[in-house]
Amino acid sequence: MYRTLRLCTSGGGFEAVPDPPRKLDLARIRTSLEHDGVSVVDARVMLIAALGSETTISRTGRVLIKTADPRVAERVFQQLRPLLTEDGSTA
Amino acid sequence: MARGVMLVSGGIDSPVAMHYLLRQGHELLAVHMDNRPFTDDSPLAKVVDHLTVLRERYHQPIPLYVVPHGSTQITLMRETDRHVGCVLCRRFMWRSAERIAEREGATFLVTGEALGQVASQTLSNMRSATASVHLPIVRPLIGLDKQEIEAVAKSIGTYEISTRPGVCCQAVPDKPATRSNLVQILKEEERIDVEQIIDDCVRKAVVL
Repeated sequence: MYRTLRLCTSGGGFEAVPDPPRKLDLARIRTSLEHDGVSVVDARVMLIAALGSETTISRTGRVLIKTADPRVAERVFQQLRPLLTEDGSTA
Repeated sequence: MARGVMLVSGGIDSPVAMHYLLRQGHELLAVHMDNRPFTDDSPLAKVVDHLTVLRERYHQPIPLYVVPHGSTQITLMRETDRHVGCVLCRRFMWRSAERIAEREGATFLVTGEALGQVASQTLSNMRSATASVHLPIVRPLIGLDKQEIEAVAKSIGTYEISTRPGVCCQAVPDKPATRSNLVQILKEEERIDVEQIIDDCVRKAVVL
């Protein structure tokens, strides 16, 4: 379960944090994103995906969407949400 | 007066550190480690705006080297122990700055580090990080607290720039080590080709 999307502390993007924390299968998420034509940088402990806004997906489940526009952030998060499960089941 | 190379981040501290040296008449070059995609465009934009203020104030050109650092961060994340990621990252920053200093005939390095503000600034981590370079390192802010630094930043006109919204570094580990020892750090660096990485990054640096 993710808490609502909120402005990150430095104000440069919106973040979503899972509660309770979860461990994501980044390889699976990467494969799925690339299958949809999204460019992904794989840093092993996080992915950086070129979605509507550049988005960081951490192995711990934290998502940071680099935009100051809450509507864009929400749109990107909803696009990503189905993938943000530990085992690939529906979020 | 001497010529030095300053590591600049876009934060509150680095322009204040530069101010203290520039007002004494020293000549400075700036080096910004470009951390994209682990941050956004804001740190570089802030650095550029900081230098505009300082160039005008001190009538110095202050060339800015922008060194790509994102690929180094990816290598560190993939190949080394995350807990000491900040120390390893700092070591690359120092070595890149020193390489540029040697090329430009600068005789010292400068940083806006203060003691203990973040994980990389504990004494043991600073020691591990700076063991990677040979040039003397000047830390004009080491004895100042955060409030004092902010007050100077406001007086020289850089505080508002520094506190604009931005994305902080996403490469910082969840639990960064606050203590490290050099043996441990060197062991981690054996996993990667340090010299090749530095050569590559400095070669790709852009001068603004």
